[in-house]
Amino acid sequence: MTTEPVVLAPPAPSRGTARTPVVQRTRDRNHRGAVRWVVLAAAVVVAVAMMVPFAIMLLNAFKAPGEYSAEGPLSLPSSLYTDGLVAFWQRVDYPEKLLNSTLIAGSVAVLATLVSLLNAYALGIGRIRGRMWVVALFLLANMLPQEALVYPLYFLAKETGLYNTQLSVIIIFTVIQSAFGTYLLASVLSTFPPSVLEAAALDGASSWQVLWRVVFPIARPTLSVLLIFFFIWTWNEFFIPLVMLIDNSTQTIPVALASLQGDRLMDVPTINAGALVSLLPAVVFFLVFQRTLTRGITAGAVK
Amino acid sequence: MRTRRTTAVVAGLVALPLALTACGGGDTDAGEGGGDDTLRLWHYEGEDSAMGIAWDEAIRVFEEETGATVEFERKAFEQIQQTAGMVLSSDEGPDIMEYNKGNATAGLLASQGLLTDLTDVAEERGWAGALPESIQTTARYDERGVMGSGSWYGVPNYGEFVTVYYNEDLFAEHGVEVPSTLEDLEAAMNTFVAAGITPIATAGAEYPAGQLFYELALSKADRDFVTAYQTYTDEVDFSADPLRYGAETFAEWVDAGYVAQDAASLKAEDMGVAFINGTAPMMVSGSWWYGRVVAEAQFEWGIFNFPGNDLNAGSSGNLWVVPENSRNKELAYEFIDITMRPEIQAILGNNGGLPLAADPADITDEKSQELITAFNEVLENDGLAFYPDWPVPGYYDVLVSGFQKLINASATPDQVLEEIGTAYADGVASIE
Repeated sequence: MTTEPVVLAPPAPSRGTARTPVVQRTRDRNHRGAVRWVVLAAAVVVAVAMMVPFAIMLLNAFKAPGEYSAEGPLSLPSSLYTDGLVAFWQRVDYPEKLLNSTLIAGSVAVLATLVSLLNAYALGIGRIRGRMWVVALFLLANMLPQEALVYPLYFLAKETGLYNTQLSVIIIFTVIQSAFGTYLLASVLSTFPPSVLEAAALDGASSWQVLWRVVFPIARPTLSVLLIFFFIWTWNEFFIPLVMLIDNSTQTIPVALASLQGDRLMDVPTINAGALVSLLPAVVFFLVFQRTLTRGITAGAVK
Repeated sequence: MRTRRTTAVVAGLVALPLALTACGGGDTDAGEGGGDDTLRLWHYEGEDSAMGIAWDEAIRVFEEETGATVEFERKAFEQIQQTAGMVLSSDEGPDIMEYNKGNATAGLLASQGLLTDLTDVAEERGWAGALPESIQTTARYDERGVMGSGSWYGVPNYGEFVTVYYNEDLFAEHGVEVPSTLEDLEAAMNTFVAAGITPIATAGAEYPAGQLFYELALSKADRDFVTAYQTYTDEVDFSADPLRYGAETFAEWVDAGYVAQDAASLKAEDMGVAFINGTAPMMVSGSWWYGRVVAEAQFEWGIFNFPGNDLNAGSSGNLWVVPENSRNKELAYEFIDITMRPEIQAILGNNGGLPLAADPADITDEKSQELITAFNEVLENDGLAFYPDWPVPGYYDVLVSGFQKLINASATPDQVLEEIGTAYADGVASIE
């Protein structure tokens, strides 16, 4: 199809302008245009495929349980049913869970990014001895399945009196996330232009000043990407919060969501409604920081 | 200026964890609020379920009579299932909680010494006399955590059993009578198959297929088999009846189209929906669906016990257990006692639950009466045979994969029997 671009009419509804002599001049652009449309179509297909689960969730969040059972998950709701949302909100005391989740994910995002930066500074720029092994060790911590970690973590938390506190989860995820952050950031910083560091050293900067005045501003785009990832990853964590946070008053949103699934029965509309309101804060967070994210990536690329 | 900035950063670093500790610490205090007259109670039944409604009333009565306050938290089933052992060996646990019956759950915790022995209390308060024999099986566990004998570690409030839900409208439309024997049932299913309808909704990816197999096996089984299978008192031969009959008949039913070929990948939820939306004329499943079918089905329907079976899958419901670390055991016993009262049991029964100690005259809801009558029939025959996946840890997944193969016809009944038999033997060997 793309081998004969000249014969091909522009696939877009081009409002007749393309038939004018301009065609000759924009021949190359037309060619590229056809490919562009194909790429666009493919992107749309992928985007739609990715949105399907969300659409189904949205559809069922506003459907009465009886209607769900009678018509199945794909039917359009005949009326807007909001009891599921209300029930979820009240049953799990959503504002409290939102506060817990925000506190935990927010603290972890900030602390883990900070720890990653300090570690990576030592590994990537400080080039301490045996850094290969240190990085490997960090990776190992990240690769261990949480199920293997959970009993020791439980035991430690119990011994230190942190069991059933948000702090236990914050500490655990600060370590887990910063293991990944250290690995990533250490390799980023190891390619840091030595001339910049030398210039700073000539000006008499201490290593602490080099970190905060030179390395930090330049690495900031990467750090903000890490911050966003850590926030969203921690937000969605289920297993360790499930084990560590026993009281309803300390629990996070994903754990609260699980309380809607019973032994043998589940309430599909309420679960969908719950999933919807649980997802929103993370989406809002992403949208708010999305600008930083794109700016971060391009800024990094230019440098 | 240089130093000032450094100090600020350091101060920030130090202050942050402090602030976090402060808020974490505050919550610990709130969690440990159990005083002399507080009962911290956990359960995981839905707010609108029969148990949820009845226990809400029990909490009200309890607070009124004892003057104590109940700190109730509704838990996630998943959380209790995954973390009960850890919670109960810490001091953050409740004073009384609902917990799953069975060897791998209540039995395991009992054998680890995490649950209070209730034998004396059960005698004293008359629970032992009030509960039918086959219900008591799941309340008692020996030192290995095997149910059926030994001390009382839990008290069930309600029962559950597997029965057949049928769509009366579809039965009438095709001129099918409620079957009373297995042959009748097969004849009825032939009528539906001839009309292009798959008669039984089931689900291979979760518990329903295994329970259907177990129902079929139980049609050829007696109490001794159940005892041997569930509590290892005797060798179980997987290559002989009743298990062979169960697997072979199951395969025949798949062949005959009584069960859909694509059911292998379906979940229990899909099965329930297929019955509730009127597609499937029958569903072989547990009484836990009852309330939902009452609320959602738009047609006339009823239940009948699996035709010809004296034994049926079923058991007591989940148990009230009192953790060894409970700070208020006396209040916990008092609460259990209130849940056993006829008036609380009647609330349970009138909302689609299966009470164990209700006065039949108190059950006024007609649909609930139908269910309770069917259940009592099973109890009178001493007919609760528990569930096929109970005997050994991890057996649920073995059964699911085995019967998925039978539904797909990718293995013969012999192969499946051998597979599930080996897993059973290995599991039993690790318990003994």
